[in-house]
Amino acid sequence: MSYELFTDETEIITQGEAYLEQGAFADPEAAKRYAELLKQYKKLLKNLQRLMKLSDRNEEKLNAMAHVMEEKNKIQEALSANLSKYLSPQIVHSLLTGEKGTDLVTQRKKLTVFFSDIKDFTKTTENMQPEDLSYLLNSYFTEMSKIALHYGATIDKFIGDAMLMFFGDPETRGVREDAEACVRMAVAMQRRMRKLQSTWRFRGYKDPFHMRIGINTGYCNVGNFGSEDRMDYTIIGGEVNLAARLEVQAEPDGILISSDTYALVQDIVEAEERPKLMAKGIEREIIPYAITNIYDEELGCPDLIRSEFKGLRIIADLERVNAEDKGAIIESMEQLLARLREEPAG
Amino acid sequence: MENIKIPAEERSLEVDFDFAANTFSLSGRSFPENVPEFFGPLVDKLKEHFATQKGARIVFSFSLVYFNSPSAKYVLGLFDLLERTAEAGNEVKILWACEKDDDMQEMGEDMAEDLESATFELRFLN
Repeated sequence: MSYELFTDETEIITQGEAYLEQGAFADPEAAKRYAELLKQYKKLLKNLQRLMKLSDRNEEKLNAMAHVMEEKNKIQEALSANLSKYLSPQIVHSLLTGEKGTDLVTQRKKLTVFFSDIKDFTKTTENMQPEDLSYLLNSYFTEMSKIALHYGATIDKFIGDAMLMFFGDPETRGVREDAEACVRMAVAMQRRMRKLQSTWRFRGYKDPFHMRIGINTGYCNVGNFGSEDRMDYTIIGGEVNLAARLEVQAEPDGILISSDTYALVQDIVEAEERPKLMAKGIEREIIPYAITNIYDEELGCPDLIRSEFKGLRIIADLERVNAEDKGAIIESMEQLLARLREEPAG
Repeated sequence: MENIKIPAEERSLEVDFDFAANTFSLSGRSFPENVPEFFGPLVDKLKEHFATQKGARIVFSFSLVYFNSPSAKYVLGLFDLLERTAEAGNEVKILWACEKDDDMQEMGEDMAEDLESATFELRFLN
């Protein structure tokens, strides 16, 4: 037995036609009006069938289009994931969304520039087997890239053993926030390096890599540089050179920042002033600062306490407190507490 | 009656009604947000105009790329109106333009099945 969608409606029409044929209407006028109503009913049924057919077709088309879109999205996602391994993910995203184009256009922007390299890379690796060198470099770059992406750095390029990254383009959280993110990233990288060094030693590498980092904040030209056919999204300018110069001056496992960066991050770091230096393309004298500590919950510093309120800022490095000062410190703190409890708020 | 000219929009048809020449055309895509609000006034004007026609030659062209179900109800209603206008003693021609073997061809032919007084002509684009 077959089932059809409009069985009931068809039955009504059959019955209606049967009434007319049997002459069920004594009044010819009533029969005529009945016949007209039946005709209209047939027409309505036909139109209903047409509308349903159209609706089904439109739905099929929509599903087919959705399928095509889904396939295109999958291809685009795969392409984007692959491209993000060659280019900075932020740049890929900007290109795919159309925020950035491929014209040879550059902008002047205040960026925080990060430069790093491996101390004595050539000397350390000259007697190394290529497989060992590949292992060390790949594990080093993989770990550092993960940290860079976590902190939102735009990875410009790897140059041999060196890395050039920047904060502030194509996305920025503000000049100060960008500088802070860069310094936090640098500290996280050096901490990760210490763990990597242990792993490398355990695996038998006598001279594990030691990274040096230089950071500077200043106006750079950022954008597409090159030719119409082959270009790089990169940064240039004296401030970039200064970051490289700071990196060369940094101690192994150290982070050296310029006074411009220090001015932006001094609330979250402890740093020691180092001898002044000059850099190519920079007229002014540079006072570098070597970072010795950071106040950062994510990076975990149990001996550091940092709180800031309107009218009160506490920065305490308990590790550095002298035993003989403890009594005086406690006394001062108790005085402060007593005053705070006495004074009405506001 | 004043002619009606409405340019096509992303979701609605282009309308070109020349009442004096008795030529009417609807073309494009139809899935306006409010279908009755789009078609209702047009159908009212057509009903009013056709009711005054006797022995007239009327040409109504459809060139539809896509229409949703509520729009289809109005298109079916227009076919019905044109058929009744023909029955009332007018020469009514419905021109249905579409791509060959497209869904629209089948749709037009299917709707034309009910026509007895009005004439239906398919015109293939390209």
